[in-house]
Amino acid sequence: MKRVTLKESAYNVKTGKILVAKMLTAQEKYFKIALAGGESLDHEPGQFVMVAVPGVGEAPISVSSSPTIRGYFELVVRDAGKLTHVLHQLEAGDTVGIRGPFGVGFPTQILEGNDLVFVAGGLGIVPLRSLINFVIDNRRDFGKVSILLGCKTPQDMLFGDEVDQWEKRLDVNFNCTVDKADPDWKGNVGLITSLIPGVTLDIERTFAIVVGPPIMYKFVIAELLKKNIPERQIYLSLERHMKCGVGKCGHCQIGDVYCCQDGPVFSYDKIKNNIEAL
Amino acid sequence: MKKPKVAFFDFSCCEGCQLQVANFGEGLLDILNLIEVVEFREVMSEKWEGDFDVAIVEGSITTPHGVERIKKIRDRSKVLIAYGSCATIGGINGMKNKFDLDEIKEYVYKDGAKYFETIPTRPVHQVVKVDYFVHGCPVYQPEFVKVLKCALQGIPYTVPDHSVCVECKLNENECMYDKGLTCLGPVTRAGCNSWCINNGNICYGCRGMVSNPAKNGQMDILEKHNIPLDWVVNKIDMYNKPRELEETETNGKKR
Amino acid sequence: MTQYVILNKTDLDEFISRLAQIKKTVAPVKRGVKNYAFEEVTSGKNVAVKYIPTILPPKKYFLPQTETLQQYDKSKKTWNAVMEFQEMIIFGVHTCDLAGIQCLNMAFSDKPKDINYLARKNRILIIGLECNDYCDEYASCKVMDNHMPNGGYDLFFTELDDFFMVHINTLEGEDLIEKTGLFKEAKEEHKKALKAMREEKRKRFKDEVNVTHNQLKPLFDKSFEAPVWQSLEARCVSCGNCTNVCPTCYCFDIEDEIDLNLTTGVRKRRWDSCQNEPFAQVAGGENFREARGERQRHRYLRKFKYPVDKYSRYFCTGCGRCSRTCMAKINLKETINELAQGAK
Repeated sequence: MKRVTLKESAYNVKTGKILVAKMLTAQEKYFKIALAGGESLDHEPGQFVMVAVPGVGEAPISVSSSPTIRGYFELVVRDAGKLTHVLHQLEAGDTVGIRGPFGVGFPTQILEGNDLVFVAGGLGIVPLRSLINFVIDNRRDFGKVSILLGCKTPQDMLFGDEVDQWEKRLDVNFNCTVDKADPDWKGNVGLITSLIPGVTLDIERTFAIVVGPPIMYKFVIAELLKKNIPERQIYLSLERHMKCGVGKCGHCQIGDVYCCQDGPVFSYDKIKNNIEAL
Repeated sequence: MKKPKVAFFDFSCCEGCQLQVANFGEGLLDILNLIEVVEFREVMSEKWEGDFDVAIVEGSITTPHGVERIKKIRDRSKVLIAYGSCATIGGINGMKNKFDLDEIKEYVYKDGAKYFETIPTRPVHQVVKVDYFVHGCPVYQPEFVKVLKCALQGIPYTVPDHSVCVECKLNENECMYDKGLTCLGPVTRAGCNSWCINNGNICYGCRGMVSNPAKNGQMDILEKHNIPLDWVVNKIDMYNKPRELEETETNGKKR
Repeated sequence: MTQYVILNKTDLDEFISRLAQIKKTVAPVKRGVKNYAFEEVTSGKNVAVKYIPTILPPKKYFLPQTETLQQYDKSKKTWNAVMEFQEMIIFGVHTCDLAGIQCLNMAFSDKPKDINYLARKNRILIIGLECNDYCDEYASCKVMDNHMPNGGYDLFFTELDDFFMVHINTLEGEDLIEKTGLFKEAKEEHKKALKAMREEKRKRFKDEVNVTHNQLKPLFDKSFEAPVWQSLEARCVSCGNCTNVCPTCYCFDIEDEIDLNLTTGVRKRRWDSCQNEPFAQVAGGENFREARGERQRHRYLRKFKYPVDKYSRYFCTGCGRCSRTCMAKINLKETINELAQGAK
């Protein structure tokens, strides 16, 4: 067997240097990463990268920062598997391998000029944040913006400072809820679905963007449809375990679509009949 | 960098798995570049009084004394590797769990029985926490090296949870069932590269069973090949009897 | 270029020996009591001219079981994408397996292209071999339309009386004819013999299931809720045999290997199977294809529906390997017939 080096390959890895690493919660760690040589990642909101540690492996991680930020990008990683466990041990100055960005992100051009309802459950805020911040950085290109946030307990809330800023903005309608409150919690208690009936919206021009754990979608979509939002105006980001990122390995396949190439962002009307999607 | 201190220990076993390390040949030198072996009764007489970075434990726990001794080893070890079928699933020693312990003791030791204490055979993880499992009777050397590298890197090693058939098919072996033989490959965890079948033997299930065997389907297969169920259960029990103690006696969930 | 030449049967051994001198040559060889496998050969002595489909299809040369994709050196912080290849000739590929290779070519040429696969494929010469009759009762090559040669080879051999009729399909194939130097021009009588055999063959090969080629796709389009998947759920033991032996299954996993110095190593891909339990599991623990019936359905849809939508081609070749190898005797022809029965 002969072995030669390839210049052009889907499996080429760029070096990413960790600029900042810090724990956000007991389980989630934040990384600010810059590609070597000042190269820009050039991602769209909602896309993901494959993060690698040599000797350990690779895992798909969604980019959490908006492309409006230049010079670095941000990831938030939960300690859930082998690779992410090792990532949690890395600190500023360490390097990781980066492939990507991969996949179809949120359709910013379609969303422009329209009203947006963001619905994020749990870790869903991590990828959704890339779009929320993109919208906020280009605020005048969009209509009314509502952000609905849900997580298990107040301690699980990610990006607390940033969320406070969203809440304070007059041009953002913000609401959040926790499944289980503590004595200091002054907000809503209950499932994220309970926030949807309270949103007033113009179904002609409202797009809902939903990201959360698999179990959440069915219930949130049911609530949105009750509001008469057309199916094609609901966007979701689905989670699967991509291994190659280039639509070959089969791991992320959902019925006839590959989550890594055709998604992870899908409009609801495109996948509602896909029995493996939701 | 200081080399991690590694020790080998044995409990109830034939010590054949440790022999697999001694049998490594030249590959052993590469391993010894990486670790410092501080205790290994089979190949050296030195003892180590301090703590171990990695303890590699062969054998199952079959006596009250064994329970105390493994607990002490665990206390002194940063990482503990259960090594070989006896340590990971109870193995051959587990066959005694089929019998009344006093009766079997009498049967084995006759008049000397009163000098021995015995308890049901348990794999190591049913007594103390185990960080890594190297299954097999004996262990498959390439898998041991893989696990050792994971342990030294501080990353988990996941034992394949699919059947030996997967690897067997990749080795293009003729199926034992096609030859009219009963093989435990379909219910046994892979990771051995179907070592036995490659060499013309059937699989005896020495690596333990897959976590979610398809019971209905397996029964179907037995029926089609006209194989009585109790016969197969007997075969499985040869290595896997102590699985019955799993989770009833311990909270330790096995990888 | 002469399209047809002939080789005397008595010269086959010498032909294989000469091929093996040109480059590594693999061919079907008997394995065990009733099985065959592609293996390296140096002469025609062990080559099986009549054989039932090999345990593993020739895909093992196009998509090796494990293949290095990257090399890394942690101390130097370097990563290199690499590809591995080997020049070789595969002799004796049946039309079903030629179709399988064509399917793989399609999947790996689809954007983004898989350079590793394509570069390796270009270094493999293929010599096809016709089945004049059915190999056994598991085959369904007629309904899959793969019982007749349909390209995808450099040379194609058909066994007739005391000679092989050889079709030259590429310049590389012609080159082999010249280099081995054992072939004679095919005369009119030889061509007649080929034609007569093919006519006989067309009569012998009949649709092996109760639906036609074109009815298969619509049948599977409506199959999502079919009861047959429940029956497979109860029978399948997830041994993964069906996907490993499939000439068009190409799913893989990617894993790192580190050398004993804990500094250098490689990233590899290796065959994986959608039938293995953790295949569609994510880090949080959710398994998107937890039930064996769902996994079997997925396997069938990846042969009869999804690729037809995408590439206008069935990814089942009709080779029968999945049925031949199944521990639980799940039979592709029966599954299709059950589906068809239920759809009535």
